[in-house]
Amino acid sequence: MKVSRFGSALLLLLALSVLLSACGGNNADKNATNEGSSGNVSTKAVKITFLNSKSEIQQQMAEAAAEFAKANPGIEVDVISASESQSPVERASSLYAAGTPATMAMLDAGDIAKFADKALDLSGEKWVAELAQPNELDGKTIAFPFAVEGYGLIYNQKILDQAVGGTFDPATINTTTALEDLFKKIEASGVAPITIGSMDWSLGNHYLALAYANQSVPVEDYLGTLKSGDAKLAENAVFNGLLDTFDVMKKYNKGIKDPLAVVLEQTAADVAKGEAAMTFNGNWLITEMQKTSPDGEFGFLPVPVSNNAGDAANESLAIGATKQVFIDKTKATPEQQDAAKKFLDWLVFDAAGQEIMVNKFNVIPAFKNNTTELSNPLAKSLKAYNNAGKSIPFAGNYVPGDHWKVLGASMQKYLVDKVDRPALASEVESYWTSVK
Amino acid sequence: MIAEKNRMKRLGNQVFFTGPTVLVFTAVIIIPFLYGIYLTFFSWDGISSSMPFVGGSNYVEVIQDSKFWASVWLTIKYVLATVILINGVAFLLAYLVTNGIKGENFFRAAYFTPNLIGGLVLGFIWQFMFNNLFTAIGDKTGLDLFSKTWLGDENLAFWALVIVTVWQYAGYMMVIFIAGLMSLPKDVMEAAKIDGANGWKRLSRMVLPLMVPSFIVTIFLSLQRGFMVYDVNYGLTGGGPFGSTVMASMFVYDKAFIRFDYGAGQAQAFVLFLLAALITITQVYLGKRMEVEA
Repeated sequence: MKVSRFGSALLLLLALSVLLSACGGNNADKNATNEGSSGNVSTKAVKITFLNSKSEIQQQMAEAAAEFAKANPGIEVDVISASESQSPVERASSLYAAGTPATMAMLDAGDIAKFADKALDLSGEKWVAELAQPNELDGKTIAFPFAVEGYGLIYNQKILDQAVGGTFDPATINTTTALEDLFKKIEASGVAPITIGSMDWSLGNHYLALAYANQSVPVEDYLGTLKSGDAKLAENAVFNGLLDTFDVMKKYNKGIKDPLAVVLEQTAADVAKGEAAMTFNGNWLITEMQKTSPDGEFGFLPVPVSNNAGDAANESLAIGATKQVFIDKTKATPEQQDAAKKFLDWLVFDAAGQEIMVNKFNVIPAFKNNTTELSNPLAKSLKAYNNAGKSIPFAGNYVPGDHWKVLGASMQKYLVDKVDRPALASEVESYWTSVK
Repeated sequence: MIAEKNRMKRLGNQVFFTGPTVLVFTAVIIIPFLYGIYLTFFSWDGISSSMPFVGGSNYVEVIQDSKFWASVWLTIKYVLATVILINGVAFLLAYLVTNGIKGENFFRAAYFTPNLIGGLVLGFIWQFMFNNLFTAIGDKTGLDLFSKTWLGDENLAFWALVIVTVWQYAGYMMVIFIAGLMSLPKDVMEAAKIDGANGWKRLSRMVLPLMVPSFIVTIFLSLQRGFMVYDVNYGLTGGGPFGSTVMASMFVYDKAFIRFDYGAGQAQAFVLFLLAALITITQVYLGKRMEVEA
């Protein structure tokens, strides 16, 4: 009796498994007939994936992929998102660990080197000749610069016009003292001069990084001396000049009562509404600002680092290709690689692609041939600085992955006066000497 | 022959019932655990194809890393505060809702609900409360305590974490205590009552000693969760202000996945595991000795 019950259970199991395998078999058959009927393998759609790490343009990216697919039948582009809370590298490396890397992955510029052994060499691509600045790593172009971005002090034109009584010219602010005088005028006109966002990435990888970018030696060399412990920040003129400016900004900060409570959305809304005249951030802030004020006039002002009016640093914005796309060569088939290259070409050379780059993604293309008129005021301002050669490196591209978190926290401490300048300098130095 | 058949059958049964569990347990716990220990002997960024062997230098680094030990110390303080408060509050709630007050079931459900919300969501909800609601109250009432956001102050941010954790787990532990309270032997309690023991005496002399098994479970759970806390830490303070509330788990995560130092991160995780295991095992062992028979 017992045996027969066990037997019947076994029988049931067998029956189930037969059913399952039958289903599987059916599917395989269907696929086979499908392929047979279409006959030609080359007409089968090539599926490629694009890991997008600019989460603010996720939707636009998907639209672009659809438009590209329409223009290029036979290629399907799937856009994978990397959420805001996850770093792009994390997402990319987990995709690699799962054995399903994205055909194209967009990463922060500083992280491309980690994937150098997995990235396809793009040196032979047509768009390399159109690059405004070379984008090489060890003599090879392995990544596609997706967006040129920059940062500085973002101002509201209308408010500043009121404050100075006439049209405000950003070129007049070329020293820390000039900036402070401007702050005083703004305050007198009844508006908060500046609002400082307390985001650690902004303070650490953007503001503090200005100290690396403005040194007399190239950024990488200077970071080398920081790592070896040879650089002495406390006596460094640029570092001190930068923090002098920061002290002025702190003094006129709209959120002075509770500086750490000021978040990005608030700074954007304040400047857009004209409740604060300026904030420190980059051109990406425009998406947020236009939510409040779609037609507002905004511009960039460099962060002065000295009281010497002739200092080039005082009239230059930090500009660089912050997002880079590389094509995987470990798992992607040659067809997929070609399709991916085609997609990048489309962004650079096709009129529709150029248009999307500029007006949908709101990025400033790194390519000379793209002359599409920029539609947003911050991008226009940035491009003007770039074209005039008034740029310094985007030093945040050269720092380790936890720089923003560790030194962003240090900058936050400085923002709320938890540490003084020598202590901040020693925190920065000890961070760098701990980098392997 | 028969014995042989029986043994085969027993083995078959064992495989049938425990096989799937063992398989899954091995695949998702044992193998990653061993692989993690393996990783501690290498220097790897998680991406690169080369993975040089570095011996025990990752462990040396962990032992010398004062920031890691600072985060461990902070975690220990957090665990102390949360274990005491969670169990205290939970027991109090359980005692209240088993005393036959009106709407018992409603209160039980209400206290338990926070536990159904994920730690991450909870963190964001409370972040909003601390940043906007409490500061608004501070503005209206002029209370100094609420004039600034708690999350901007190192000490208050720590207590904000403790409060949210207690709020999250007290209801859960309450359920365990309720089960314990309901199964207290009625005859013993009645005898105590007849003998003239007042409420406090009954609580301290009868109820609490008999509840030791429940306490072992709840303290174990709250200890273990306290040591491993990440989600609330991430959602509420994100380690801020200025890195002052980075608990051990977050420190390990940052090391491995933000700094991309898998070897050192894994070594820290292993040290943390040993520490948490040591403390929880000691707790269970000591707790068992305090158990009494009714």
